Amino acid sequence: MKTYWITWSVLLVFTAVMLWADSASLPRQAFVVFMLIAMLTKATIIAANFMHLKAERLPLVLTVVIGLLGMGAVLWLLIAPDATRIHEIVTKYGPR
Amino acid sequence: MMQTDRLELLTGAHTAVIAGWRKVMMWWFIVTDGLLFAGFLASYGYARLLAFDWPAQSGVFSLKYIAAMTFVLITSSATMASAVEEARRSARDGRRSGALKYVLPTALGGLAFLGMQAYEWAHLIGEGARLTQNPWGAPSFGAYFFLLTGFHGTHVLTGLVILLTTAVRLAKGITKEEGVEMAGLYWHFVDLVWVFIFTLFYLV
Repeated sequence: MKTYWITWSVLLVFTAVMLWADSASLPRQAFVVFMLIAMLTKATIIAANFMHLKAERLPLVLTVVIGLLGMGAVLWLLIAPDATRIHEIVTKYGPR
Repeated sequence: MMQTDRLELLTGAHTAVIAGWRKVMMWWFIVTDGLLFAGFLASYGYARLLAFDWPAQSGVFSLKYIAAMTFVLITSSATMASAVEEARRSARDGRRSGALKYVLPTALGGLAFLGMQAYEWAHLIGEGARLTQNPWGAPSFGAYFFLLTGFHGTHVLTGLVILLTTAVRLAKGITKEEGVEMAGLYWHFVDLVWVFIFTLFYLV
């Protein structure tokens, strides 16, 4: 039981640090990278400790990690360049 | 140990990943449901990159309030993890499960979260936020806010029903260790999704 409450306090510390980073005026790129790292760390802590993924066999862990994060990343990488390109075109030539 | 695993595999009691079929199916469900959210969040990211006037979140939301919602959800996840542990221990010791005393506070946390979300929705609707427009900037902001938080809130509501059902079944002595674990996996998943929404929609 104790482990879960330690996990709980670690998650709260992470949340507090993220809120602090939001109020601090960090450069945009550093801020986004920091937030993404903190988010993935929190997600890993929840999956590993609360969902007991760290106690499962590797095939199940890989199914979940690759299935979710891998597919999510592929999906994002497929569409993100398109949005950036359209944004650049509109910036350059105007909305019409 | 290996002998047992092999025997269990041969009798079909376990799948090839050496976990009970219920757990494997639950994880498959979580992965597919998670992909739905991944698609949603990727689409939101697309809209963000495309938008020229995406509102600054700190000007729209009270981040302290959202942090309080996060606190409630994380705490309910910790009580749910304790429920699963208690169910495991009581099954091991052959005594009646005391998981109910952890499942009920978890359900209370879920209810509090939903109430807070309903208040946040009412507040923003009162300020003029709609699915197709809002007073702060890019029209898609309102659509993504209501759809992302609404979709997540529906999951919390489903989780609440699962928790209350589990609580009743625990009180009757019907639900066993594995039932509590499955309810726990779903509840943690709801918490996990919130981590992504909280970071990507409210902070970044």
